[in-house]
This record gives sequence, structure tokens and C-alpha cells, in this order.
Amino acid sequence: MRKALGLALVVATVVAIAAVVGAASAAPAKKQDTSISGAGSSFVFPLVSKWIPALGSAYGYNVSYSPIGSGGGIAAVTARTVDFGASDAPLSADQMAACKGCVQVPWALSATSTPYNLPGLNCVVRLTGPILADIYLGNTTKWNDASITKINPKCNMPDTKITPVYRSDNSGTSYNFTDYLSAVSGTWKSKYGPGVNQQWPTGVGAKGSSGVAGVISKTQGAIGYVDVAYAKANKLRFASIKNASGKFATPGLRGIKAAAATLPKKITGDGSLSIVNPKKGNPLAYPISTFTYVIVPTSSSKSAELRKMVYWAVTRGQTYGPPLLFQPLPLNVQAFAFRQIKQING
Amino acid sequence: MSTLTPDPAAPVAIERRGIRLGDLLFKGVAGVAALGVTAVLGFLTYKIFALAWPAMQKYGLSFIWTEAWNPNTNVYGALTFIYGTIVTSFIALLLATPLSIAIALFLTELAPRRLASPIATMVELLAAIPSVVLGLWGILVFGPWIANHLEPWLQSWFGFLPIFSGDPSQAGLLPAALVLTIMIIPITSAICRELFSRVPHDLTDGSLALGSTRWEAIRRVALPYAAPGISAAVLLGLGRAFGEAIAVTQVIGSGNAINRSLFPPGDTLASRIASTYQGASNNIEVQSLLYLGAILLVVSLITNVSAQAIVNRFQKARRMSTG
Repeated sequence: MRKALGLALVVATVVAIAAVVGAASAAPAKKQDTSISGAGSSFVFPLVSKWIPALGSAYGYNVSYSPIGSGGGIAAVTARTVDFGASDAPLSADQMAACKGCVQVPWALSATSTPYNLPGLNCVVRLTGPILADIYLGNTTKWNDASITKINPKCNMPDTKITPVYRSDNSGTSYNFTDYLSAVSGTWKSKYGPGVNQQWPTGVGAKGSSGVAGVISKTQGAIGYVDVAYAKANKLRFASIKNASGKFATPGLRGIKAAAATLPKKITGDGSLSIVNPKKGNPLAYPISTFTYVIVPTSSSKSAELRKMVYWAVTRGQTYGPPLLFQPLPLNVQAFAFRQIKQING
Repeated sequence: MSTLTPDPAAPVAIERRGIRLGDLLFKGVAGVAALGVTAVLGFLTYKIFALAWPAMQKYGLSFIWTEAWNPNTNVYGALTFIYGTIVTSFIALLLATPLSIAIALFLTELAPRRLASPIATMVELLAAIPSVVLGLWGILVFGPWIANHLEPWLQSWFGFLPIFSGDPSQAGLLPAALVLTIMIIPITSAICRELFSRVPHDLTDGSLALGSTRWEAIRRVALPYAAPGISAAVLLGLGRAFGEAIAVTQVIGSGNAINRSLFPPGDTLASRIASTYQGASNNIEVQSLLYLGAILLVVSLITNVSAQAIVNRFQKARRMSTG
């Protein structure tokens, strides 16, 4: 009896293995070719997840998107494991060359906020670019540092240690933030520069916007940077930042719009548009605003669909933005996007 | 009568044939499984090294003692992570080993049976907590508690030691080491319990009969008897601590520098791979991460092999002394 049971067990195991192997080899049955896969920026994910059902009803496309981070999105589209990538950091010349026939299209516009944790403080903390740089360089370590109290006369800044929090994974938000730090601090620019990740000299690293927000909410005196949609959704309090006109601006739609308005009327080049620290004369501009990009191979089996999808995103898709704190693209950027889209499937 | 004699023989013969078929099948399945695992290990090791090869060629062995991780300038080195791995794992072992032995002794020698089995179950259930959940608890509860209570307390008593200097931080080497301690205890204590329960009762009873106290019996008889097994259990725990990625990533804070203090953020080999691999944007960063993986693999293999070697040596020694 027991032997029979043993035998049955062995046979069952063999059958099970065979079944699994069989199932695995049968799995890649192709779906319809209107399914489009993308990966990358988590910054743009809230907007893309609104677009997905709308694209489904407009064109019947079955779009899937994995918010694995901008760096991963660039790597994925370069390896062609997805149909499009998304990144908040524009492709570098090297990355553009490695992607072999890719085009980047600005398809959303938003900002990076700087949330902080100072319980009991009933005012909005004001900061400047150089102060932020000094905090992340480890030079300014207390909230009641003279440089901070000077511009916050209405706030009673506490004698709390500042804990800067950064993204430990490669992220477009880090790019936007360090692009800004490089624009306002010569030291930051020469030592670190803009990048999706850094050899951060001080502070605490955490994975993803949620990780950064988690550390901030649990650490008194912490400051970090997350996309403003995330900060708003999670009711984080964030600083207002001094722009080049000397005004303190918050990352609202108005501030983002004013920053984007500083771009020239006719936009040329490879598609990378930096709008951090816009020059004087834009008193409303929020200085850590950013475009985020979709990266599409110029020729692929789904070129026609991708072209339609991106065109929809930069036109109809923009109307989904404002509730999520994505400012619709200005007309000059939209016109530039159209020209970029034309390169798809040349 | 004559018709009866072949009868009992017949089913036996049939049964034999059944056994043979079963044996054959079993042998086949078991053999394939064993060889398969060996092949996977070999292939995996080869593949990791092959993929990491460009980074190995570019940075050479100096990668191991370079303290850098800069994706902007593509300068990579493993020293911070090797340091973090060693420090967190050894603190975890230092704390987990005596605790595990104490738990195991309590459960096998001291506790009444009614109490022992539920406690044993609880300790083993600790192993069932997914590491990512433990990490979340580390971020939200344990880390802040360490930063607000444990680290200031350590500093007020032992602040003269450089390892307890600096500002308390909820993410750092110490929280990571403590989370690892919690993760190792179920494994090492379960093995230790098994070892102590195998100590022959004749020996402990004999020792007690000769007038030794309970503690003396444990120290002079049970502990030496279980010693080889305990050292193997410790090394298995070490392997676990070396390789743990997710929970560590969540509480260690991804620091980039080596600090004398245990409070500030650091990073381990496994946790750096876990936190940056998915978003790595260029080839050389991926290859450098794989280089970290190769270092981790080699270290873990060495740990496990030495665990086995220790067990074998002790067993040989014991056989010689008893035989």
C-alpha cells in the first residue's frame, strides 16, 4: 500500500513537471498586435494610468506601463524589451546613440517639490537654491542656520538637525533636482552635476517616492524631494523656493506654467528641454519644474500605433493633467512634439 | 496443501517487480533533481562572472578596495558595500548566536513540555515573516524607535566608543544589523534545538548523577556535544545575513561612505544590487552591480563550504574520541 502510494507520488511529480514545462512552452501565445507596452518614469505614472483606459476606448489599444524608474525605462527601450520608454531625464548623447534610432518627445510637464518634516511649525518654510545645495552638500546642518532664519522671519525655525533624504534608486526626479542644484551651485555642478543618481555626500537614501516620503514622515527635521503630484496626494508639506526673480514660488500649476513659458518660441535640437532655474523676469516661475519624455524607436512593428498614441498624449491627453498637477504643454512645446513625432516611422 | 505453497510467493514476486519499477523511477527523478541543481549552480556562477566580466576587466581587483559608487562619472568600487555587509552580518551573528543557544537550551532542557512546544512554534513562525514585511516594520516602527530611544541610550552609556558616535539615525548600519538578527534567530535556534535534543540522555543524566548542577551539565556535556553543529548553524545564519537584500535595503539608508559609527546610513552588497539594479541606466553600472553579485556569491560559497568543513572535522574528531 505504502509503496503504491510512493509510486503514485513519483508519477504525480513527473506529470506535474511535464505539465509545468508544457504550460511554459505554450504560454507565449500572441495577443492582438494593438497591445503596447511601456516602462520607465514613475513621475509620469499617475498621468499615464489615466491615459491607459482613455486610449483603450479611443483606439482600442491595450497599453501596459511599468513604473520602474527613468533609468530602467531608457534601458528597456534601448534593449527593445518594451515598445516605448519614459524618462524625466532627457537622453544623453551617449544614450541617444545607444538607443539606435530613438526619438524623444516631451509629453508631460510638472515639478519636483521639496517636502519637509518640522512638526509644530505653522508656516511654509522658504528656501533658496543655494541653501538646498548646501543642505545636500552637508554644509548646512541645522534648521535654524542663519541663512534659513534670515529668509523666514515669520517662522520660528527650530534647532533641529537637517536630515536630507534622497532617492537610492536611479530616478528622473533625482535628475530634475540635481539639474536644479547644478544650476544654482557651482560647487554642486563641479563635484556632482545633474544625474539620475549621485554619490550623495550626506543624508539618507530611500527607494522610490514612497520610500523618500516614508523616511521624511518618520524623521523630524528631514527634507527630501518628490514629484509634486505625489506630495499633494500624500498631504506632505513642502517648501516654497526662491526663483531668479527673487520671488518665492510653490510647485503649483501657475508656477510650472510660468517656468515653461521661458522656453524660446521656436524649439530646436534633440528634444531635451531644461527649465530649471528660469532666468529673471518670471516672478511666478517655480524653479524645479521639468518636462518628462517618451522615448520611441523611429521604426518598429508598431510604429503606426505608437505615433497615434504619442500624438494623442500630447493633445487630448493633456486635458487629464491639471487635476494631477501636470500642466498642459505650451503651444511651442506641442509644436516641437509634433515635429518629433513625425520622425516615428520615417 | 500443495496449492497453498505457490500462493504466498506469487504476490511477493509481483510486489518485487513493482518495487523495481518504483526504484527505477525514483532513482531517475532523484538523480535528475540532484544533477540539475548542481548544473544550475555551475551555470549560474559562470553566467554571473561572464556578465560581470567587462566591469572586472575595466576596474580589475582594485574594485574591491575602492570606495566609490558614482553613476554620473562611472566610477565604481565595492569597499563601502563589503564593509557594510561584514559589519551588519557580524553584529547580527554576535547577537543572534547566544540568544539562539539560550532559546534552544530553554526549550530542550529547562522549559516544561507544555510551554516548550508553543514557544518553539512561535520562534519558528518568526522565520515565516516575509523579509519585505519585516523591512516595512523596520521603516515605520523599529527604525524610529532605534533612532529615538536605543541609539541615544547607547550613546549616553558608551558614547566614548567611536562606533556609537554621531547623530542617531533611523536608517543605518545598526537598524540593519538588528533586523538581520531577528531574521537569523529562527534559523539558528531551530538548528540548535535539534542539536540539543540529540544529546544522549545517558550523558546528561550521568553528569547530573555525578553531582553536577543543571548548568554544569549543560556547559560540560550538552554544549561540547553540540558544538560542531552550532558552529555550522552560525555559519548558515551568516550566509543568510550576507545575502539578505530587501529588508536591509529598507532600513540601511543607502549610504555611500564608510563611517566609524554604526548610526549613519551604509549599504551592503545585496542591498545595493536590490536598490539600483532595476533602474540602472547604462551597461557599465549593470556590470558593476554584477561584479558586486559575483563577490557576494564567492563569499557566500566560501561560508557554506567552511560550514561543511567544520562539521566534518568535528565529527571526525568526535568519532575518534568516542571510538
